[in-house]
Amino acid sequence: MKKRSISLFICSLLTGALLLSACTQPAAQQTEQSQQEQNQQGQSQQEQNQAGEKKELGFIKATDPSKVPESAKKRTDTMVLGITDPQGIFNFWFYNTIYDRYVIEAVTERLLSVAKDASVIPGLAEKWEVSEDGLTYSFYIDKRAKFSDGKPVTAEDVSFAYHVLLDPKYDGRTNLSKAKIKGGEAYKNGNASSIEGVKIIDPQTIQVQVEEANATTLLLLGAEIFVLPKHYYGQNYAKGNLAHVKSLHQKPMGSGPYILKEFIPGQEVRLVANENYWKGAPKVKNLIFKSTTDETQIQSLKTGATDFDASITVNADNVEALKELGFVNLDMLLNNGYGYIAINHKLPKFQDKRVRQALMYGLNREEVVYAYSQGYAEVIDVPQSKLSWGYPDESKLTKYTYDPEKAKQLLEEAGWKLEGDGYRYKDGKRFTIQFSASTPNEVNDALIPIAVENYKELGIEFIAEQLEFNAVIDKRDKGEHEMAFLAMGLSTDPDPYGLFHTNGGSNKDSYSNPKVDELLEAGLKEFDQAKRKAIYQEAYEIINDEIPVVFMYQRYNLNAYSSRLSGFVISPYKYFSESLNEIQIN
Amino acid sequence: MKQLLIRRLIQSIPTLIGASILVFLVFTLAPGDFLTQMSADANMTQERIDEIRALHGLDQPLYKQYLTWIGNLLTGNFGESVLHRQPVTSVIHIFMWNSFLIAIIVLVLQWMIASIVGILAALRQYSIYDSAVTLLVFMAMSFPSFFLGLLMLKFFAVDYQIFPLGGMRSTGSTLSGWADFWDVMKHLALPVIVLTMLNIGSVTRYFRTNMLEVIRQDYVRTARAKGLKERVVIFKHALRNALLPLITLFALEIPGLFSGAIITERIFNWPGIGRVVLDGIFQRDYPLLMGFTMLLVVLTIVANILADLMYGVADPRVRNR
Repeated sequence: MKKRSISLFICSLLTGALLLSACTQPAAQQTEQSQQEQNQQGQSQQEQNQAGEKKELGFIKATDPSKVPESAKKRTDTMVLGITDPQGIFNFWFYNTIYDRYVIEAVTERLLSVAKDASVIPGLAEKWEVSEDGLTYSFYIDKRAKFSDGKPVTAEDVSFAYHVLLDPKYDGRTNLSKAKIKGGEAYKNGNASSIEGVKIIDPQTIQVQVEEANATTLLLLGAEIFVLPKHYYGQNYAKGNLAHVKSLHQKPMGSGPYILKEFIPGQEVRLVANENYWKGAPKVKNLIFKSTTDETQIQSLKTGATDFDASITVNADNVEALKELGFVNLDMLLNNGYGYIAINHKLPKFQDKRVRQALMYGLNREEVVYAYSQGYAEVIDVPQSKLSWGYPDESKLTKYTYDPEKAKQLLEEAGWKLEGDGYRYKDGKRFTIQFSASTPNEVNDALIPIAVENYKELGIEFIAEQLEFNAVIDKRDKGEHEMAFLAMGLSTDPDPYGLFHTNGGSNKDSYSNPKVDELLEAGLKEFDQAKRKAIYQEAYEIINDEIPVVFMYQRYNLNAYSSRLSGFVISPYKYFSESLNEIQIN
Repeated sequence: MKQLLIRRLIQSIPTLIGASILVFLVFTLAPGDFLTQMSADANMTQERIDEIRALHGLDQPLYKQYLTWIGNLLTGNFGESVLHRQPVTSVIHIFMWNSFLIAIIVLVLQWMIASIVGILAALRQYSIYDSAVTLLVFMAMSFPSFFLGLLMLKFFAVDYQIFPLGGMRSTGSTLSGWADFWDVMKHLALPVIVLTMLNIGSVTRYFRTNMLEVIRQDYVRTARAKGLKERVVIFKHALRNALLPLITLFALEIPGLFSGAIITERIFNWPGIGRVVLDGIFQRDYPLLMGFTMLLVVLTIVANILADLMYGVADPRVRNR
């Protein structure tokens, strides 16, 4: 009973950070894409073993829908969606994992939603207005919108959300302070009994004044706000008293298409259709989220125990196994995030741009990424999702294909001279890199042997130190790291201020470039998307040249569903769970 | 006897205090806390992380954090799990009994089978039966648990579908009473078989070795010489003595009943405490980890006292000392 091992939990760490911002697939190009890819399949087969070879990605349609297992067909009014075990915090204001979020989105809804190109679209609010000076935001709640108990969604409920999120005792992950609502600070850290800038105009209209607006304000005030019924959550609510709100995590109520009936920890979440759903009753009466594990995900689909799974790791083995089932549709979409190797800019050896470029040229990243993903991840040269409108024009970027000669030349120029022992020295010091490797981690398993060999060829000693993930983060927070592999989850807006601005909250590597700072500030102040794109183009060109971190890859997410179901809306900036009412049983 | 009990209970107080300090330090000194992983969220700022840290008292000096924790613990307040946002006691309560259910069945099966198999093997030392048992037992023991588990799943749940594919109840089950009990039993079968196979080996070997040792003792020879029946010799004179060292072993299994089996729980998707605690370790859910570990500390101490008492009951030589 006491045997314990960590070896099976490679994924836990990745789920922790990366999956939080997982995303999915564009609907429009699906069929075209998959046809093209099928044509290419034949040709690419000879090159199967070549590193960097692309696998067919995008949408893979089920080849034989007749193979749907009998046990699944028997569930005529129930769909079973497999997800990794949720933690039972079914309140957007407090949740931790994406798996809880799936359940949250079945039950509750947000004020504004996001389209597949990351632009803002109506949610509970049917429209919104921004005043002339850009500092007042008005949201008009859809008059049809009702909570599952039949009461209408009102401005009062939205105001309640803002108040809880800025409550001095609020300890969830939403960071509403960033929106700089007028009077928000006074409410949070002062004596104000309500937030000055939040005004209820009429039952369906709410106005929010901010002290300072930027391009992300609308997202923060609308798309990040889930509206929960104040008459249910807000009983006895007074500033600083969140006890009642917190006691309802497992009994959520909202305006979503489903109603939570029962949560059985570690096993399943049972939901039933909200017949009064304001956008029309969902097509499937019962919805069960069943907890699955890496070991049973695919087998569960195979035996018909589940109809869908959103937690399957994208790699060649899994994709192959799923394709073999015949009745499963695979929907793969680039994850809104990327993997990178952090470089500590405080260390003199990394302060020379040429050295950092040499580290890019001198590492066979294609080989590393292929070893990790077997072709199911893309090597990147810029830290932005390829699906974002903010992604720069690639033709103006440097493509850092593996080129050891160029790397050596750059090191030579930077003053690192090769000595007789095969290593490079400068001022009598050997070029060594202490790499903090979190373990267990599939990427590090692939990266370390290749990096040791590649960098040895350049004359750099690459020493990997195996640490637990939290220890790596801790080291980096203290600035004691040299290099470390990490993954970053991006938000809906492409703004990279937090990552690469000198004062950015996630800039733990002390990267600083005045020109980049200036551009990122300008990008936030600008509201016009085309103009922002041009600003970010320029910023990314510098970042691409400066190499603040060694860019690695952008990986894929996978939604696998039985051909028994249809109607999934899978889009890069929101989860399948935001459109559960569209799903039907064929 | 009563005196022994009281003495042992008093002796365990310093042990508990020492253990609580150790448990506290082991977890809090490990790098990172539950907010560490939020730094991979582009929306998070350092100020916000510091605010949340302060709300959870993580900005306090260590000794203050310890005193707060131990003070609450003494009033029965284990704190709130940061991962589940529920009181630690209710998280443990929900998941621990699921683990206990499997563990207790495995324990009973394991000791029953091991005693019979082990004693028979000892009585027929070096026979074909003995070698066969030794071989089988070692084979079962040396399988990695995930391999054995996945193999069982493939045969019995996927290919032949005799047993369900993991979980504790059928999906969407609305059964109750006996039907529900039967449903749980069907889900239990595979993990119980796997765990029993893995654990049976060591206990069998203990039984065999102890029995072999005792059989060679003078008093057994005397009993035989007296002309007692072989059955009486074995079960009354030999077995009782052979069981003595096993009491300790048995008592030490008690905390294990509550601690969960991480790998098996994962593979069979069993909603046990093991995998909850493992997630807690990776994501630094201090209140949950510390509360759970303290619970195991208490159980271990209780089990030790219990072992001493049982020894006294079984062996008059110990009792009189």
